[in-house]
Amino acid sequence: MKIPRLTPPGKLTSYPPSEKWDDWVEYDPKRWPERVPRHYTIVPTICFNCEAACGLLAYLDKETLEVRKFEGNPYHPGSRGKNCAKGPATINQVKDPERILYPLKRSGARGEGKWERVSWESALDDIGARIRKAIDEDRRNEVMYHVGRPGHERHMDRVLQAWGIDGHNSHTNICSSAARLGYALWLGSDRPSPDHAHARFILLLSAHLESGHYFNPHAQRILEGKLSGAKLAVMDPRLSNTASVADEWLPTWPGSEAAVLLAMARTLLVENLFDRDFVHDWVNWQDYMKACHGEDDASFDAFIEALVEHYAEFTPEFAEKESGVPAEQITRVARQIGAAGNRFASHVWRGAASGNLGGWQVARALQFLTVLTGSVGTKGGTLPHSWNKFKPEFWEDPKPHQQWNELLFPKEYPLSHFEMGFLLPHLILDGRGRLEVYFTRVYNPVWTNPDGLAWMELLKDEKKMGLHVALTPTWNESAFFADYILPMGLASERHDIQSQETHASKWVSFRQPVARVAMEGRGQKVELTHEANPGEVWEEDEFWIALSWKIDPDGALGIRKHFESPYREGEKLTVDDYYRHVFENSVPGLPEKAEEEGLTPLQYMRKYGAFEIENDVYELYQREVDSSKGDDGVKVGAKTRRGFETPSKKLELYSSTLAEWGWPEYAMPGYIHSHVHPSNIDGSKGEFVLIPTFRLPTQIHTRSANSKWLNEISHRNPIWIHTGDAKRLGVSTGDLLHVATEIGYFVNRAWVTEAIKPGILACSHHLGRWRLKPDEGSRWTSTIVRFEDYGSGTRLRHVETLSTFPSSDPDSSRIWWSDGGVHQNLAFPVQPDPISGMHCWHQKVTVQKARGEDRYGDVFVDCSKSREVYHRWLAETRPPTGKLRRPLWLGRPVKPALKMFEF
Amino acid sequence: MNYGFIIDNRKCIGCHACTVACKSEHDTPIGVNRTWVKYIEKGNFPNTHRSFSVMRCNHCAEAPCTTICPTTALFTRGDGIVDFDNRRCIGCKACMQACPYDAIHIDPSTGTAAKCNYCAHRVEVGLEPPCVNVCPTHAIISGDLEDSSSEIATLLALHPVQVRKPEKGTEPKLYYIEGDAASLTPGATDSAGSYMWTDAPPSGVDLEAWRIASERHSQEESAYATKTEGAKKVYAAPEPHRGSWGKTVSAYLFTKSISGGIGLVLASLLLLGAPLSFATISTALLASIAFLGLTNFLLVYKLERRERFFYVLLKPQWGSWLTRGAYIMTAYGLLATLALLLALASIRPPPLLLVLVLVGAFGTAVYSAFLFNQAKGRDLWQSPVLPLHLIAHAVVAGAAALGLLSSSEATISRLLAAGLAMSLLALGAEFFSRHATADGEAAAKMIVSGRFRVRFWLWVFLLCHLVPIFLLAAGAFTGAAILALIGIALFEDMFVEAGQSLPLA
Repeated sequence: MKIPRLTPPGKLTSYPPSEKWDDWVEYDPKRWPERVPRHYTIVPTICFNCEAACGLLAYLDKETLEVRKFEGNPYHPGSRGKNCAKGPATINQVKDPERILYPLKRSGARGEGKWERVSWESALDDIGARIRKAIDEDRRNEVMYHVGRPGHERHMDRVLQAWGIDGHNSHTNICSSAARLGYALWLGSDRPSPDHAHARFILLLSAHLESGHYFNPHAQRILEGKLSGAKLAVMDPRLSNTASVADEWLPTWPGSEAAVLLAMARTLLVENLFDRDFVHDWVNWQDYMKACHGEDDASFDAFIEALVEHYAEFTPEFAEKESGVPAEQITRVARQIGAAGNRFASHVWRGAASGNLGGWQVARALQFLTVLTGSVGTKGGTLPHSWNKFKPEFWEDPKPHQQWNELLFPKEYPLSHFEMGFLLPHLILDGRGRLEVYFTRVYNPVWTNPDGLAWMELLKDEKKMGLHVALTPTWNESAFFADYILPMGLASERHDIQSQETHASKWVSFRQPVARVAMEGRGQKVELTHEANPGEVWEEDEFWIALSWKIDPDGALGIRKHFESPYREGEKLTVDDYYRHVFENSVPGLPEKAEEEGLTPLQYMRKYGAFEIENDVYELYQREVDSSKGDDGVKVGAKTRRGFETPSKKLELYSSTLAEWGWPEYAMPGYIHSHVHPSNIDGSKGEFVLIPTFRLPTQIHTRSANSKWLNEISHRNPIWIHTGDAKRLGVSTGDLLHVATEIGYFVNRAWVTEAIKPGILACSHHLGRWRLKPDEGSRWTSTIVRFEDYGSGTRLRHVETLSTFPSSDPDSSRIWWSDGGVHQNLAFPVQPDPISGMHCWHQKVTVQKARGEDRYGDVFVDCSKSREVYHRWLAETRPPTGKLRRPLWLGRPVKPALKMFEF
Repeated sequence: MNYGFIIDNRKCIGCHACTVACKSEHDTPIGVNRTWVKYIEKGNFPNTHRSFSVMRCNHCAEAPCTTICPTTALFTRGDGIVDFDNRRCIGCKACMQACPYDAIHIDPSTGTAAKCNYCAHRVEVGLEPPCVNVCPTHAIISGDLEDSSSEIATLLALHPVQVRKPEKGTEPKLYYIEGDAASLTPGATDSAGSYMWTDAPPSGVDLEAWRIASERHSQEESAYATKTEGAKKVYAAPEPHRGSWGKTVSAYLFTKSISGGIGLVLASLLLLGAPLSFATISTALLASIAFLGLTNFLLVYKLERRERFFYVLLKPQWGSWLTRGAYIMTAYGLLATLALLLALASIRPPPLLLVLVLVGAFGTAVYSAFLFNQAKGRDLWQSPVLPLHLIAHAVVAGAAALGLLSSSEATISRLLAAGLAMSLLALGAEFFSRHATADGEAAAKMIVSGRFRVRFWLWVFLLCHLVPIFLLAAGAFTGAAILALIGIALFEDMFVEAGQSLPLA
């Protein structure tokens, strides 16, 4: 059969047109050049790997409804039909012969690795009864949901509010809380949304051409900007792929970034390269003059003078001394930033912010440049994320809960952004609480968090941890220590609403169970998504609804009513009800757009998978508001304008919050000496700074272990060490290094390179996965290990290298690599920043050539030392002295009733 | 219509999305790649630079893979795409020797050759290849080079571009904007053996040869590329071509030299009127036919798809010396058999038949030189001396074998000595003249002063050439003949292996 062409000969188009998606025919590539037509149904969904929420099109075999491949969704405004390697690799995850397809319950001791298959019904009954009992006995804070990869915007918050618990824990404080706090102090909004495509100068303290929030959408636009003439500068001690593409690479000493940025800010000020009008109108400079200089009526010029004086120390030469980056380069970059006018786009998310004590000041110093150039919210500038992120509204919202969970927001961290999730084992050891039911959702604290052994101890302790339910489609190190493993759907097997601030636009996208959508499209009735999914894989939306009904079967607790259909009174809420309501009622413009195509809003989203609500969302802060109607705003000149989401509605250079909450010395953007400041590192004693956080373009945390293609491209994490340092230690590439942290050590191979700053080591954070038993875990990447107890601590040792394994996939017998990397995080103590609550990832380490006993992959930890380090960092906090636990204006997930903020 | 690709290195960010999208489209097995991204680093901190190069089939206008393919399994379409048909492929791996870009592999699930085929199955319906679609930064540009309004043609008109190994004359249609010479030239970089986030490449990779190639580059100038100071390959995919022709191919050359050599020497002697007995003639012909059979057995044995061996004869691609060789050997086999039947019936083969046997035997012995010459990826094998070498080997092998089988009369002894002398001449011409390319030079160096040096000097040169000549002079034919045969076997094995030992990508 000859398939008709979509285009004239010689011309090619990217994607099949949407009107052909129901029955798309193309030739079978494996049979080619024989012309064997294959019929597909194409259904859009959203990638489930990183947080960027890029669009995918699932090609389902029309006969079997099996997904054959994933390509990009051209209708997605963020990803525009393009993906990174992890998008098409989704098919590996869906077809992984090792994935968990049925609910498992442990049948031996926790962590013993004995499992039995159980029914969903019995799991739901058991978990529901335990939660109900905890609620009945007012032990509501003993129920906790801990999320790794979030999704379904606001849905989970609603579930937890409905249960009346303060139980939302997240991965934020091992990820981004420092940058979030820095941005929140300036903007209220806690993320940047750079408009790279239209920028004249782009400064990244990140590696957005290979990783991060939001790699693929941002990479597209950064290169667009660059090809249109923008210059790109990258600050990173390691030559990332991003730095390699940049016009300027600034290899700063880790932690010195704020000093460099403030030196740039000072250059803009003294060389008059800043936007005077913007700063005059939109910065709360009067607050600064009042608080720091006691002047109520200071002039703007006096303020600028005071500001220059305030930052007098930050000369380019000072910044050079701190960072090792030449003063001329700092000045050169500063001038280019100044010349870019209000088209200066910038980003920091993890990197320097999450590596260092005081890293939140890095984000604040970076945003200072955005403010000085007047690039806040402009075309080509950097926008507050809240302008670009859609949040759904529901038919009814449960009342805020009446709890405050000390395990989430301990009193020592009133400004943390957000939950102190990675301290959970220590907080429980402190006696601050226990858990009756603990859900981990695509979250692997044993492996990902620092001090993983403390997590293993916690998860094994049946007194402190009543029931651990791992919601995960794949095996992971934390799931080994679960009571239930409940398999939840992957990218093509679940519903979620996703919206991210990828650029100056606001869009919403829809993750869908594609087989279910295809079945319903041909008129088949599907009650629950698992009927269409592989095995008995559920989707979480339906799980939470079912579980809520189990907790409150008769409605007596007042929970069930929140999970009843808005359309059919008293009946169980369905996913169709839920999304129908959201799309009909809370997405501006969607109902009209759908109608144009003769579709309902839900049908439109099922067909296209995405919708752009607004584009070119610039300068919203300037919008006038009608204060006579009680609308919130700020008076600027003669007009009342929308302003920003800070207490003053202005950009807060001076943060009265910090001053009032015990940190007056940090009320202004400043430079805090990191725990790895050069003064703390003695190179002559073999001391180095280890950067353990860098990401690869082909992996995503621990979620990509089940992708064979991604593992083939990247499966080991040797330690990057500069040629000169390696020479000094007498090591070459491949030699073993013994890397001692404060609580133990690990042994990994050296990768000798000129692509890292001397004195600094770097080790990628993805690899070094392990399993305890031969058949449990992702064998594409995990090494079999054993834990050995010594009096002085515990040692992880590799027992077998990675090798082939038999499975339904012939590729599992073709694995050609044997090195799966080293689990460095296990050897890290917790290092919570006393203000942002961020785990300060960078490690001060002592390095030598491996010794006699050392074997590749060894990790040793002394748990008593890990407690000591926790206490030392905890002692740096300043618990609030006032009535409140936390500033009311600062963000907090699943906000309790106002009165709960009081002690 | 003429499809090509541009890789725009102003935009490539080395993310490997193309690699994975391609694997997904074709379900390419682990261990092999139709497209992949190479990383190199150069410069010293803080002036370090990493560059990325997308590697894949170059869809050459003069594609050497289609020329060498014996069955038209590889072919150029009317629209310029170099496509393949795995239903015709016998798995001989000749294409992998011919491709100078290491773009072809054997698909382990089918045992047939595979490579980027520009997703011809999609182009046919008007769709872009998935690597183009997926690329976040639109760094891969496809299109019709002949359509001046196309994006690819416009870019080509506006920007200088580079191609890989232009000196091969393959006219690649994979162009790089801001291509990095150190990245596009395989010999320009050192390699640590393992990469920044992958293990050492899988077996079959000759790290030793890699090291030697690197050393050689640093030591001497080469015709077209000098080693970039401190440049290091830091990420690469497994290289499928290495050692793809193994010991069976060395053995095939050896048995073929004996078979062709016996025919050559026997027919020459008979035509010159040597008074050979029917028994000697029959034994010789029988031996020649037996070695021919062995040769063909080895040829078939090394195929990935042995059951398809007859495609070479039934689906012939006449430009391929594999096809031509198969026909030459078939013809020679028939002629030799006819002569044998006559000899067994005590009838002297007529001169015309002897001439035909002579031509067949000569062809059998020498055609491999042209086959190896079609292996454009192997610079060592491009040598103009190769035909001479194979003739010399045939004479040596024929004389030695014939002498060992029958009485070693003086003519045969002299022929053996002459063959050895000719072989020495060929060795000299091969290894002590300059090769046309740096890789040819590197492979030759590997033999003369690299890891094969002991085999070359002690065995091949001294024990298997000089010593036999002295032995012949002293009248010790048997010893000379045995040593000479060992020498041919050792040399051919070394020649096959060294030719494949250098990185192509």
